[in-house]
Amino acid sequence: MGFDLNSAIRGRVWKFGDSIETDAINPYYRYPTMAELKLHTMEAYRPEFPQQVRPGDVLVAGRNFGCGSSRPGLVLREVGIAAIVVESVSRLFLRNNIARALPIFMAPGVTDIVDDGDSLQIDYQSATVRNPATGRHVALRKFPPLIEQIFAAGGLPEFAFQRYQREQGPVPPSR
Amino acid sequence: MGRRKAKTMGQTIAEKLLSRHNLAGTDACAGDLVEARIDGAMCHYHADEPMIEMAAQAGFKDGLPRVWDPDRVFVLMDHHQPTLSQALADVNARVRKEVERLGIKCFHDSEPGIAHQMMADYGLMRPGELVVGNDSHCISYGALNVGGTGMTRADMFYALLFGELWFQVPESIKITLTGHKPTYPIAKDIVLHLAGLYGEDVAASMSIEYTGPLVPDLSIDSRMCLAAHGVELGAKFAMFPADAVTHDFLRTRTDRAFESVAADPDATYAREITVDIDEMPFVVAAPHQFGNIVPIDQVAGTAIQQAQIGSCANGRFEDIEIAARVLRGRKVARGVRFLISPASQSVYLQCLRAGLIEQLIEAGAQVITPGCGICQPRVGFLSDGEVCITATTRNFKGRKGSPNAEIYLGGPLTVAAAALAGEIVNPKEVLRGL
Ligand code: SF4
Repeated sequence: MGFDLNSAIRGRVWKFGDSIETDAINPYYRYPTMAELKLHTMEAYRPEFPQQVRPGDVLVAGRNFGCGSSRPGLVLREVGIAAIVVESVSRLFLRNNIARALPIFMAPGVTDIVDDGDSLQIDYQSATVRNPATGRHVALRKFPPLIEQIFAAGGLPEFAFQRYQREQGPVPPSR
Repeated sequence: MGRRKAKTMGQTIAEKLLSRHNLAGTDACAGDLVEARIDGAMCHYHADEPMIEMAAQAGFKDGLPRVWDPDRVFVLMDHHQPTLSQALADVNARVRKEVERLGIKCFHDSEPGIAHQMMADYGLMRPGELVVGNDSHCISYGALNVGGTGMTRADMFYALLFGELWFQVPESIKITLTGHKPTYPIAKDIVLHLAGLYGEDVAASMSIEYTGPLVPDLSIDSRMCLAAHGVELGAKFAMFPADAVTHDFLRTRTDRAFESVAADPDATYAREITVDIDEMPFVVAAPHQFGNIVPIDQVAGTAIQQAQIGSCANGRFEDIEIAARVLRGRKVARGVRFLISPASQSVYLQCLRAGLIEQLIEAGAQVITPGCGICQPRVGFLSDGEVCITATTRNFKGRKGSPNAEIYLGGPLTVAAAALAGEIVNPKEVLRGL
């Protein structure tokens, strides 16, 4: 499913610290199914998170989000997180999220403008994230066109399929 | 996207490498996102994920329609040969069929070895190239001045199809190595020391540039260990200069032309660190994290049941040579299983020809078929309460079987000294006698 980066997002903030590792986000060694993962994601840092997270909430975190092994954060979308906004993100977590079209934004300074439970507004078009209650805002880093296209296509494999067909003509149906 | 710096500013190795490969043809500065042409794509034994699974997810019902350049795709079904299980045998068979259909020329599935070492042994990469793979330790290619880095399976699928990928241009950290030429393989000790002093995320998402007066004295074996461990320090690239040692190594392995990459003298670094190896104490990583570094004297006397030398970090000639040197004419301590696994068949042969294998077997060590076995819970499982000291890459809980076993990481000299003593010891004594 494609994701429209330009759709405005506004949601309640769950705020986390620096270097949140993929073991906390996606502890699949212990909880191998998505149903189980949904009951345990992020509990290492906030035991109440799995129960209290609501569809449309926004996850804000500090530096190096998603460090550790290369694992996608699909479970965060499954529990309803509308977007992740971070100071910085580990490289393979970013690549995994783009490859799966999970909205993630880098906005240095974001942890200074919102507190846990505040509302946060993400406007990709104008490249800002804003705390509507205080008016404080910081810039988010726009992605280059290629990454925007990957989001629109619904992920990297889907994007590759579209590009291939555009360049080589339609892929014939299965043999 | 990062701000474009003034044209006059110097570039780091990563900036120069990614500028050179940038499809847009513009200069790449730290922070930029660029689309880059790649020179090589390596897939190891999880090759079915990018080649088959991702192709199906994308919508290619009959599998990948092509690879962008069959000469630049390397499928090395290494890690576990002879095949360990029915499941792996079936995966290998499926991949083999795809490799044939797609016309991929470089395919090894009947030779044990670690893919990263085979990339070097077979001259599949050259200085100044950008080479990706489906394994985090692809970063080890930086030893040969190759921009190597690990990718996700979706990225690898894209790379196979188009020969292009997006990169965020990393900031760089300069690590200057100084001191006298070491008398034993010291690379692992340097990395453990760095992790202890600066933390295991010291180079998070950055490009490490190793430089300094010690570099010409470091063998390719040592450089591959330092570069491989870039990932344990969080890095995206871990680059060495291409010097006489590099050229010497490549001379017999490749005849393709290449253009190596060096940093400008006025390049900008996010951080600079100097390590004087003459001042470096012996340390080990205690269970269960790479960054859990302690002085060796703090754990000296800990009895061990297993000792290991191998992996993409320490399975090379010099790592095995030091073990043979320590054990020559002596015996592994009673009750200690000393497992030694060369990184590849070429390394194995090199050790055999030098007489090391005979000495090691006489001393009571076990030589294990090349591959990743001893680095994972595949060969040499540990039981509850057992202690292992190992010159491999990782010491996570459960990495060698029981989560109640303890794994220490040390340099190959430290490991060999422990195998001889039956307990962790400061290798200074042993070193004096060599
Ligand atoms: S030796 Fe270990 S770390 Fe290296 S590639 Fe094999 S399994 Fe991975």
